[in-house]
Amino acid sequence: MREFTYYPGCALFTKAKNLDQCARMSAEILDVRLKEMTTWNCCGAIFSTVSDDLASQVGPIRNLARASSQGDSLVTLCAACYNVLKRSQAWITKPGNETTRDRFLNFIEEEKFDPNLKVLHLLEVMKNDIGFEAVKTKVKKNLKGLKLGSYYGCLMVRPEAEMQFDSVDNPMMMDDLMAALGAQPVYFPFKTECCGGYLLVNDQEASLKCAATIINSLNAAGAEAVVTTCPLCQYNVDNQQKILSERVAGFKKLPVFYFTQLLALGLGIEGDVLNLDGHYVDPKPLLKAKGLLS
Amino acid sequence: MNKRIGVVVCHCGINIAGVVKIPEVLETIKTLPGVAAVRDHMYCCSDPGQNMIKDLTKSEKLDAVVVACCSPTLHESTFRKAVKSVGLNPYLCEIANIREQCSWVTPDRDEATKKAIRIIRTQVARARWDQPLEPIDVPVTRRAMVVGGGVAGIQAALDIANAGYEVVLVEKDPSIGGHMAQLSETFPTLDCSQCILTPKMVEAYQHPKIKLLTYSEVADVSGYVGNFKVKVRRKPAYIDWDVCNGCGQCLVKCPGRKESEFDRGMSKRKAVYRPFPQAVPNRPVIDASICVHFKTGRCSICADVCPLKAIRYDQKESFVEESVGAIVIATGFELYDLKDYSSFGVGKTQDVIDGLQFERILSASGPTSGEVKRPSDGKVPKRVVFVQCAGSRDVENGKPYCSKICCMYTAKHAMLYKHRVHDGDAIVFYIDVRTGGKGFEEFYKRATDEGVLYVRGKVSKIYRQGDKVVVWGADTLTGQKVQVEADMVVLANAMTPTPESAELAGVLKAQRDEHGFFNEAHPKLRPVETLTAGYFLAGAGQGPKDIPEAVAQASGAACKVIGLFSNKTLSHDPPIAGIDEDACSGCGVCVDVCPYGARELVEKDVKGKMKKVIKVNEVLCECCGACSSACPVAACEQRNLKDEQIQEMVEAGLEG
Repeated sequence: MREFTYYPGCALFTKAKNLDQCARMSAEILDVRLKEMTTWNCCGAIFSTVSDDLASQVGPIRNLARASSQGDSLVTLCAACYNVLKRSQAWITKPGNETTRDRFLNFIEEEKFDPNLKVLHLLEVMKNDIGFEAVKTKVKKNLKGLKLGSYYGCLMVRPEAEMQFDSVDNPMMMDDLMAALGAQPVYFPFKTECCGGYLLVNDQEASLKCAATIINSLNAAGAEAVVTTCPLCQYNVDNQQKILSERVAGFKKLPVFYFTQLLALGLGIEGDVLNLDGHYVDPKPLLKAKGLLS
Repeated sequence: MNKRIGVVVCHCGINIAGVVKIPEVLETIKTLPGVAAVRDHMYCCSDPGQNMIKDLTKSEKLDAVVVACCSPTLHESTFRKAVKSVGLNPYLCEIANIREQCSWVTPDRDEATKKAIRIIRTQVARARWDQPLEPIDVPVTRRAMVVGGGVAGIQAALDIANAGYEVVLVEKDPSIGGHMAQLSETFPTLDCSQCILTPKMVEAYQHPKIKLLTYSEVADVSGYVGNFKVKVRRKPAYIDWDVCNGCGQCLVKCPGRKESEFDRGMSKRKAVYRPFPQAVPNRPVIDASICVHFKTGRCSICADVCPLKAIRYDQKESFVEESVGAIVIATGFELYDLKDYSSFGVGKTQDVIDGLQFERILSASGPTSGEVKRPSDGKVPKRVVFVQCAGSRDVENGKPYCSKICCMYTAKHAMLYKHRVHDGDAIVFYIDVRTGGKGFEEFYKRATDEGVLYVRGKVSKIYRQGDKVVVWGADTLTGQKVQVEADMVVLANAMTPTPESAELAGVLKAQRDEHGFFNEAHPKLRPVETLTAGYFLAGAGQGPKDIPEAVAQASGAACKVIGLFSNKTLSHDPPIAGIDEDACSGCGVCVDVCPYGARELVEKDVKGKMKKVIKVNEVLCECCGACSSACPVAACEQRNLKDEQIQEMVEAGLEG
């Protein structure tokens, strides 16, 4: 069984437990162990682009330094953690930043920093290390007939030069995974638009508009559910539908899944770990209708 | 070996003298063995400067001259001509580059002076060994080939033919005409593209000096300037064009259907087709990939109806060999394929079309007979968004260069749209509007006066929403996000070289730039020539350009060809890498390393003994020295750059 050092992040221990647990269990079925880092802290949640804001880099860099002595790669699941860790890695390993790096290491009292540490998203591991063909062979419950819109959000792909994840406009990694599970990926033009999650507190209306654009487009494209990698997207796109359905007559709600929920479902995992009751838009009727839930 | 060598050091204004201490250089060089005279001059390349060199050569009875000045690429030929005029063999004049390689890159005066002395000493060492050389004469076949039958190729062919030389015009498609035949009206005068092009097409077809090979491709080229042998692959038309009279009976009942390339997928053509009604030559071809006869053998309707019995299902591709002295490359452009621009939904989103598709929509002979109708449902679009720089000026995802013609044709598109749909909205998204050209700015002004709305900003996303195509963009003048619900979107795709030109470049061994455009010999001073002697460039295959520029360049290329043909023989620079037949072991290493194909291994009688030796085609040799370095027995020495000479030059350079 292959092992990967795994950084869960805070959200996956609170709001998004199912994102984390489904991933760990599914990985085991796919002969991969996600070995949680021995000590870790918050990733910082936002990659600061302020030039002298060194304090906000401490969090991610400490995680990266600690991961350096635990393996040659670091796998994460949450889109925000992935974005922050990967960009911090790119920033601190940039030529010319060596002195800054040494100062950081001195401050956080870590000796080692591996500039070649690979920050990976679980989707990349699924594609490159496990392989979608291998996933296919392990499918117990084929998601056949389920029309899914893969919503990547803004954090997975941008900025392109640093993230190097997939196409900025039309990423396919999650679509391909869903297809491997038997589902039917649906194209829609807002795969990587912002969900408005960051505006939720300041400007609810703006955030609502973002979510509405995504849901409306998915409905128009014939999707039956949304798949995401990001706890914030999941929360926002799911919960904003409450207001939207109050305001718009005939608004068609769509359940919003984590990709690991559907992965787990496809691999035959059942029970509370999926946390299908934790959604605002109840996904159970859809899954029952498709024969995926008894 | 007791040559009298003269050294002339140029100040080049302050370019050299501002850094290099000329008096010190002269003092040192004067003492070198063989140096009979040293002089300096403010500008050696000027008339007085050249005269000084001539006088010095005569008065001092010099056997060789070294001019210490700028790069030999600039003035080697100037000074060689100067010494030749006073009776010295020009190959006994050498250049010591103390500008680009010394004064411009060495700020410290003492360092630069020392370096200049070393450079001059090296060239003096070289001059000591130089032999007088005579140019190599080459006969010229006064017959040209033009590759590509667009407007540039047609123009080049006509100009050469009208000067009295034969031309072979090769075109890959069944008809000549190129993209210009697809256009509706041309900026900035709005004259009908086909109306001005078709007379030229016919003229080329009927010209007694022009041999037209359409539906043909260059398969192989051998030889050298003045003496090319070109093998042309003639694709099978499955119709005997000599018998066919172009009546078009066969086109009527053919059951095969495919998207028309000429209408860019917006109409269907049949399996037997001619690209467009005015095709030249007016002969159809059969597309075997969709023809029922070739697929099942169950149809022969075209053969049945042909009154002249010209259909030949058994026709095979054939090859013809043409001997020509010069080749004009006029391969034209293709629109950049935006399929990777997923944010624009190209290919996925209906009614998002490219500029050439819109040309076909506007064209009276197009799929909508010139009425503006959108492809999805044939409705008249009431709001059309035009997106400039679709793929151009996009360093990250597309092409970094400006495609040059799009600003103007977009202005034309928007204007023509307004002329035909009076109550329609035409909205143009642009980064800059570039209107450099005669009458271009006025034309753009006219577009805005006629109500075309220009929004300064890039488009970020295009997607379909129900009946509409939604365009997201930014208005960078107000700093606001703009969302437009349009009925149709026209993209001004970047111009790229044709995909076929990559293959052709391989066959011709012609140089291309990083984007695949053919490289000119000099971006300013030799814009229609290439670095390979005998190849000339015309049209958009060299870089994005509009019709007048393509035509002008074609005439320029033709003029160069005519100039070449005005000589009975050509002379080739004599410094080449020869072969010492006694030393040559016949290993053939140099054959493999020669980039010009100038060397071949032959069996030959050398001093009464048959042995394998290298034969050098002196005309092809560019004296790059690859063979000299590769030869294990030092048998491939370059003239005036022999091994002993290099050895002495190295020693002279390192000395002191």
